[in-house]
Amino acid sequence: MNKRIPVGVSGQKKMYTAFIIVAVILFVLTTLYTNFNPMTLIENGDAFVSFITEDFLPPALPKSSRIPGVLSSVLVTLALAFSSTTFAAIFAFFTSLFGSEKVSPFPKLAKIVRGFATFLRNIPALVWAFILFSSLGIGTGVGFAALFITSYAFMVRAFVETIEDVSQDCVESLEAVGASFPQRVIQAILPSCLNGFLSWFLYCIEVNIRASTIVGMVGGGGVGLTLFTYIKGFQYDVALSIILLIAAMVIIVDRITGRLRKEIAK
Amino acid sequence: MEQTIVQNTAKQTDNNAVSKKEKKIPVGCRQKNKFIPCFMAGTVLLTVISLMYLEIDWIKLASRVPEIGKVFAELAHFDFSNMDLIFSSMLETISIAVLSLLYSLILGVVFGMIAARNILRIKWLSVLTQSLFTFLRAVPTPVWVLLMLVCLGMGPEAGVAGLCVHTTAFFTKTFAQSFESIPDETLEALEATGTSRISIFVNAVLPAAFSQIAAWTGMRLETNFSECAVLGMVGAGGVGFVISRNLQSYEYGTAGLAIVLVFAVAYCIERLFVAIKKKIAQ
Amino acid sequence: MEQILKFENVSKSYPNGVHALKNVSFNVKEGEFISVIGPSGSGKSTILRSINRLIPISGGSVCLDGVSVSDQKGRKLRELRRKVGMIFQNYNLVYSLSVLQNVLHGCLGYMNGIRGVCGMYSEDDKKKALALLEELGMEQFAYNRASDLSGGQKQRVGIARAIMQEPKLLLCDEPIASLDPSSAKTIMDLLRDMTSKRNIACIVNLHQLDVAVKYSTRIIGLSKGEIVFDGVPSELTDEMIERIYGTSRENLMIGASANE
Repeated sequence: MNKRIPVGVSGQKKMYTAFIIVAVILFVLTTLYTNFNPMTLIENGDAFVSFITEDFLPPALPKSSRIPGVLSSVLVTLALAFSSTTFAAIFAFFTSLFGSEKVSPFPKLAKIVRGFATFLRNIPALVWAFILFSSLGIGTGVGFAALFITSYAFMVRAFVETIEDVSQDCVESLEAVGASFPQRVIQAILPSCLNGFLSWFLYCIEVNIRASTIVGMVGGGGVGLTLFTYIKGFQYDVALSIILLIAAMVIIVDRITGRLRKEIAK
Repeated sequence: MEQTIVQNTAKQTDNNAVSKKEKKIPVGCRQKNKFIPCFMAGTVLLTVISLMYLEIDWIKLASRVPEIGKVFAELAHFDFSNMDLIFSSMLETISIAVLSLLYSLILGVVFGMIAARNILRIKWLSVLTQSLFTFLRAVPTPVWVLLMLVCLGMGPEAGVAGLCVHTTAFFTKTFAQSFESIPDETLEALEATGTSRISIFVNAVLPAAFSQIAAWTGMRLETNFSECAVLGMVGAGGVGFVISRNLQSYEYGTAGLAIVLVFAVAYCIERLFVAIKKKIAQ
Repeated sequence: MEQILKFENVSKSYPNGVHALKNVSFNVKEGEFISVIGPSGSGKSTILRSINRLIPISGGSVCLDGVSVSDQKGRKLRELRRKVGMIFQNYNLVYSLSVLQNVLHGCLGYMNGIRGVCGMYSEDDKKKALALLEELGMEQFAYNRASDLSGGQKQRVGIARAIMQEPKLLLCDEPIASLDPSSAKTIMDLLRDMTSKRNIACIVNLHQLDVAVKYSTRIIGLSKGEIVFDGVPSELTDEMIERIYGTSRENLMIGASANE
C-alpha cells in the first residue's frame, strides 16, 4: 500500500489536526456533561418565533413620564464607565511603573505588583460588584468601585507590557546618563509610551461601557437596571427599545473611540 | 550705555540675569500632535462632569470601607462542606463556556464567509450580515441570556444559546476581517483555474486564516469563561449562581471558595494561552 | 597621564549560571581610545555595563576616577554615572521627543528636583546643546522628532547626548553595528575627533576588526569572559586573532584596511 503523499506544510498540518481533535473531544465531553441538545433549540423554534413576534415586536416606548428617567439612566451608565476608567488609568499608570523588572527602581517588587494585578483581573467585574455590594451596600458608588478594580488591573498589565516594549532602551540610556527615577519617568517613559497608554485607555472605555451596563443590572444603577426591571416586569416590547438604546450607545461610543484612536496615532 | 554692558556680560555664559532677558530657546518638536493635550484635557473635564452627575456619596462609601476588610476576612475562611456543589457548578460553567465557543466557532466561520466581501461577493448580503451582527455584538451577553431564559426556561440551553449570540457576532466580525485580509490576487488566480467559490474558501481562505482563527478562539475562551461565570448572577445557573446566592445569604466561606476557584480557572486559561502563543511565535 | 578606570579581578555570573566575566583586570588612562573585540557572548557588553553599574558585578572591584563603583547607591551612583557617557547600538533615544530634547537629556544627571523632572533646562545648557549639534552637523534637525532621523543621524544624536554630560569616559556599545558603511565611518570619525579634542577616554565594543585596528590606540581581546589580548593594534597578530575568535583568520570577514 502506498502512503498518502502529504501536501501541506508539515508543522501546520499537525497543528490543524491537534486543534480539531481537541475541539471534538471537548465537544463530546461538554455535551455529555450538560446534556445540551441543539435539537431542543430547534424544537422550541415555535416558542422563539412566537416570543419574538408577539412579545418582542414591535418595540414600544416606555410611558412618556418615564422617558426622562430612562435617558438619564443612560447618562449614568456612560458617566460610570468613563469616570471609573479615567481613575483606573491614573492609578494604573503609577502602579505600572513598578511592574517591570527592567524599569522599576525596586525590581524585586515587580513580581508582586504583577501578581496582585493578575489576581484582581481574573475575577470578573460582576463578582467584584457582588463582593462590594455585600460590604458597601447597593448603589452607583459600588458600581464605580467594581469597574475601577477590573479596569485598573487590566491596564496595569497592558501598561507594563507597553513600557517593556517601547521604553526599555531609552530608560537604560537615561540611567546611564545618571537620571533619577522621576526624571526617567517624565523624560523617557511618558513621552514614548503616552500614545500606547491612551489607546489602551480607549479600549478600556469600550469594555467598560458594556461592563457598566451589566453591573447596573445587579444593582449598580444606570440603564442596565432599567432594562432588568422591564424584563422582570414582562414588558418585553419596552425592553426591546431599551436594548436598541443600549446597542446605539455602545455603537456610538465604539465609533468615537475608533476616531479618537486614529487621531492620537497621527 | 546700558546696551554695551548687556553685551559685555552676555559673553559671560554663566550670568543668569542676562540670559533671562534673551528670548528663551524652545526645545520641543516643530510638529506636535496638538490633539493629545486637547484629548487629555477633555478626558479630565468629562470625568469631573461625570463624577458630579453621578452624585456618589463618597463619605458614606468611605465610612463603610472597613467592612470590605471584614468581608474579605470572612471570605478567606473557606467552607469546604459544599465542595461537591461548587465543583459541579464549576464544571457546568466551564462546559457551557466551551460548548458555546465551539458552536459559535462553526457559526462564526459560516457567517464570516457570508460577511466577508471577497468570498461570496454578494454585496447586500455581507452588508446586511455585518450590520445585524454589529447590533448583536453591541448588546451585552447577560441581556441575551436573560431573554433566552424567558424563552427556554432554566438550564444549560439558555446559557449556551445566550452566549452564542454574542460570541458568534464577535467571531463573524473578526473572521470576516481575517478572510478579507487575504489578497484579491490569490483568489483571482484560483478563480481563473475554474474553482468554485465554496471550494476556494475551504481550500485556500480557511487554511490561510487558520492561525488567526485559532488565536481568536483562544482569546475568546478567556472572555467566555468570565462571562459565563457571571451569568449565574443575573439568574442563570453555574458557579455565578453559587457565588451570588451564598453572598446574599451571608455564607461567605462557600462563596469565598467558589471565587477562588473562578480565579484559579481563569488564571489557568490565561497561562495556557500565553504558553501556546509563545510556542506559535517561535 | 591620569588613570580614570581600574578593573581589578572583576567577575560576573548571571542568575542563569553563565559566567560572563572571569577575573578581568585592566586600566584606562585619559585620552585612550580602546576597542574591545571578541565573539558574541564573550562578555563585551557586560564589561561596558559594569563600568556604570547598569549591571552589578559579582566579584572584584571597578574603580572610576578613584571611587569604587560597586559601593555606590542612589545619588552617589548617579553622580558617578554622570562622569560616564554611553552610546548604544540601537541609539536608545526617546523617539517621540525632539532631537534637542534628546541631547539635553545629557544634563539630567546634573539637575535636581522639579526642574530636572519637568525638563526645564537652563538657557546655557540649551546653547551648549545647539552648539554640539552644530559641531555634529545636525543643527537643522534640532526641532525634528527623533523618530524621523536616519540611523546615522540618530547615532549622532546619541553622541551629542553623551558629550553633553561632559564625561571623562565614553562607553560605546557596538555603535556602528546597525549602520551602513558610510555612516559607520562618519560615526567612528566623529567619535575619535570629539573624544580626542576633549581628552575623553573612550571604550568601544566592536565586531569590525578593521575598524578596531584603524581607530584605536589600544585593543582588548576577549574570549569566553577572559582577556586574551591587551595591546596596541600593531601587536594584533594572526595568532592573536585566532585565539580571540577561536578560528583562523581566513574564516573571518575582515575589511580591507586590516590586511595592510
